[in-house]
Amino acid sequence: MSLFQPDSAEALAAALAQAAHDRQTIETGGAFSKVRAGGPRGGAQLTLSTAKLNRVLNYEPRDLTLSVEAGMPFAELSALLATNQQMIPLDPPYSATATIGGVVAANSSGPRRRWFGTARDLIIGMQYATMEGKLVQSGGMVVKNVAGLDTGKLHIGALGTLGVMTVLNFKLLPMPVDTRTFAKEFATAAEAIAERDRILKSTLQPMALDLLNPAAARTLSLSGFVLLLEAGGQPNVLDRYARELPGFAVVDKTFWARINGFTESFLAAHPAGCVVRISSKLTESAPVLTAFAGPVIMRAGNGVAYAYCETPPAKLPPLKCVIEYAPEPRPAGMDLWPAPAADFDLMRRVKDMMDPHHLLNPGRLYGKL
Amino acid sequence: MIAANVRQEIHNLLGPRGYLDQGPDLSLYEYDGSIDKAKPDIVVFPKSTEQVAAIVKLAARNQLAIVGRGAGTGLSGGVIPRAGGIMISFARMNRILEIDLPNERMLVEPGVVNLDVTLAVQRDGYYFAPDPSSQRACTIGGNVAENAGGPHTLVYGVTTNHVLGLEVVLPDGTVIEIGGPETDLPGYDLTGLLTGSEGTMVLVTKAWLRLMRTAETVKTMLAIYETTDAAADTVAEITAKQITPAALEMLDGPMLRMVEEATHAGYPMDAQAVLLIELEGLIESVESQLEPIRATCLACGAREVRLAKSAEERDLLWKGRKNAFGAIGRVSPFYYVQDGVVPRTQIAPTLRRIGEISREHGVQISNIFHAGDGNMHPIILFDARKPGDVQKAVAAGEAILDYCIQVGGSITGEHGVGMEKMELMTKLFSDDTLNMIASFKSLFDPQCRLNPGKLLPTGKGCMEIHHAHATPAATY
Ligand SMILES: Cc1cc2nc3c(=O)[nH]c(=O)nc-3n(C[C@H](O)[C@H](O)[C@H](O)COP(=O)(O)OP(=O)(O)OC[C@H]3O[C@@H](n4cnc5c(N)ncnc54)[C@H](O)[C@@H]3O)c2cc1C
Repeated sequence: MSLFQPDSAEALAAALAQAAHDRQTIETGGAFSKVRAGGPRGGAQLTLSTAKLNRVLNYEPRDLTLSVEAGMPFAELSALLATNQQMIPLDPPYSATATIGGVVAANSSGPRRRWFGTARDLIIGMQYATMEGKLVQSGGMVVKNVAGLDTGKLHIGALGTLGVMTVLNFKLLPMPVDTRTFAKEFATAAEAIAERDRILKSTLQPMALDLLNPAAARTLSLSGFVLLLEAGGQPNVLDRYARELPGFAVVDKTFWARINGFTESFLAAHPAGCVVRISSKLTESAPVLTAFAGPVIMRAGNGVAYAYCETPPAKLPPLKCVIEYAPEPRPAGMDLWPAPAADFDLMRRVKDMMDPHHLLNPGRLYGKL
Repeated sequence: MIAANVRQEIHNLLGPRGYLDQGPDLSLYEYDGSIDKAKPDIVVFPKSTEQVAAIVKLAARNQLAIVGRGAGTGLSGGVIPRAGGIMISFARMNRILEIDLPNERMLVEPGVVNLDVTLAVQRDGYYFAPDPSSQRACTIGGNVAENAGGPHTLVYGVTTNHVLGLEVVLPDGTVIEIGGPETDLPGYDLTGLLTGSEGTMVLVTKAWLRLMRTAETVKTMLAIYETTDAAADTVAEITAKQITPAALEMLDGPMLRMVEEATHAGYPMDAQAVLLIELEGLIESVESQLEPIRATCLACGAREVRLAKSAEERDLLWKGRKNAFGAIGRVSPFYYVQDGVVPRTQIAPTLRRIGEISREHGVQISNIFHAGDGNMHPIILFDARKPGDVQKAVAAGEAILDYCIQVGGSITGEHGVGMEKMELMTKLFSDDTLNMIASFKSLFDPQCRLNPGKLLPTGKGCMEIHHAHATPAATY
């Protein structure tokens, strides 16, 4: 096993082509912060890191656009943008160590996705290296663009199973002038969900809206089912939220850091632990919140929930879900993606086209791709 | 001409009113909003996914080209059946199948008209954000195919940001559901890949749309300028100041006069440019943005900044904007709309360059465009009856797009490449990128029968490349 850290996209592409030629398996990553994400890893003949592709290629604050190499640490990038009151509001787990490429490959997102969306909404272009050793472009540096096929979308969340992203172009968002965080505890899931529904039907436009089950709430020293809401804007806007959120307490903004860091700290504390990611409709919130004994944190405005299990669940509930993080190494026979949908065959054909010999992060996408 | 046996099979499948194959009828289906033309051999009007799949299989057996058609409002020749064959119109698949407000979703057939989505849920305080200016006519199928935008996609994103899942028919007749009403479904984002594929990879037979809550208040401002430069500078300045209006549209002098004469919307006849600026959101948030925007406009040289005082006034301004192409039609029988995009700091120089190109090529060019996202729409007026005029218009269009590329932009922001800008793709993308697009095209449509001759430059189309797809050696 050897580690290669190319310092140019061209060198990275060439390494992929060489490995393909030699039929060598390859593991790719940025900072390798999310080693427990996705499916089996390790044992590859070559390890390729984007860590040295860490330059900002083009940052035009007045255009609110940025082009950055994939290996740039997310934290460093965020700090740079903050000097201009700008942001990429993805709130990913492992934000202190992850690279921007890794964040996108894992399609990491966080609470503010209710308002700002996820990587698929923020990326305006990318360059990726293929197993044929080519550098391919999708999109560009303008915020609206339909030239060509949006092949870059496939790499978002592919966990590096189709190629290696080398450059990412973003549209940037201005930071809100100020923010305020509100929390309210409820005795039952039904009451919390009813309040969530009321907020979603109101004219309020929260940036973030999370719902925690009691086990998750306890870790924040709260109790019951908890709705956490973040609003952004001028003080009079924030006061408006205060008026329209009766019974909510204004809480410390650092709650969000703990929510965003929850996955990382939970997995560190539980080497045998798993994080299950559930994609649900908003009307399915009740079963999602109650299907697990451990903590559940739900993006209550999107229906994406994370359930934290101290040991691998024997059986997953009948919801659309995957085991997003698993113990490392994986216990034998663990099915990370029990029920791929009807479009799985098409995904497999995409994989076969991009990586015909299945050398790239084999099985990394939940053991199935 | 369609072969008698194929016609008979279609007749059996869809009945006597399910298709058109006579010359005069077919003439209605030979064009879209761009300048090319070609007739299909037959136009069919399926009413269900099953019928679409049956037609697609029939086309496969008979080696016929297929083109899907929404409302034909496309502006890049996407719908033009340049290889003849079967045109599948989705006009009769226009049902809203499910309105699911608690989940902020709607499931529709592809022939549903864009505006009808919003109209169906407006009373309940929801809407569908992508609002192409053609929204009274264009369909969701066409929007998905082109990844359509609109004035209000500046802040809320274009079609791809509002489509969660699709039911599609592959060129071999297989029906597959992709994505779904939930977000973050595991695996590859095929919905994202196929949205914007310009009808060349799949036919869309259903779409899951994301609905948004109507904002509490909307304020519309009209900033009036003596020079286009000052208006363009304002756009750059608003962007740089990180104020995010919901919409930011620009009309230049000739354009706003055409619009005003046609609609009497209240645009000043003597100005050289106006910006139509809309703010949306909570009352407090909108109110707090009005003054900074007004100040920015004035600082950049606006002569006057008006605030629409009533919903009627606002609607009138938008009616003028959205019906602009009709207004041009009154003045010039032929026009050619370009769709280049530039970084927002480059709008002023781009407008100046468009002015030069207009003089160099001897064609009149007016501008009405989505300024907030740098999406230019230079409208080139010409007279197709005058020899050489079409060529002049096309050459001017290309010169403009060359400039857009040169300043770091793109050749199309929302209208698509179609058959109109195929050859320009080589100026924007490397061979490796074009080959990758071709590989995806072949993966979905190996026989190149779905909307052939679009999107990729001649020589890169799927007919010409033979990409070896090795069968996978490894299994897990
Ligand atoms: C006055 C005017 C204003 C416009 N303003 C805007 C604007 O603001 N923003 C914008 O983005 N566009 C605009 N357009 C362009 C056009 O309206 C859009 O591209 C629209 O999305 C096309 O929809 P349609 O139903 O007319 O599609 P068509 O023109 O019928 O088809 C367009 C493409 O979609 C494909 N297609 C259609 N249905 C399907 C289906 N079910 N499955 C697969 N492929 C399909 C066709 O094959 C073709 O390639 C404007 C056009 C006009 C005439």
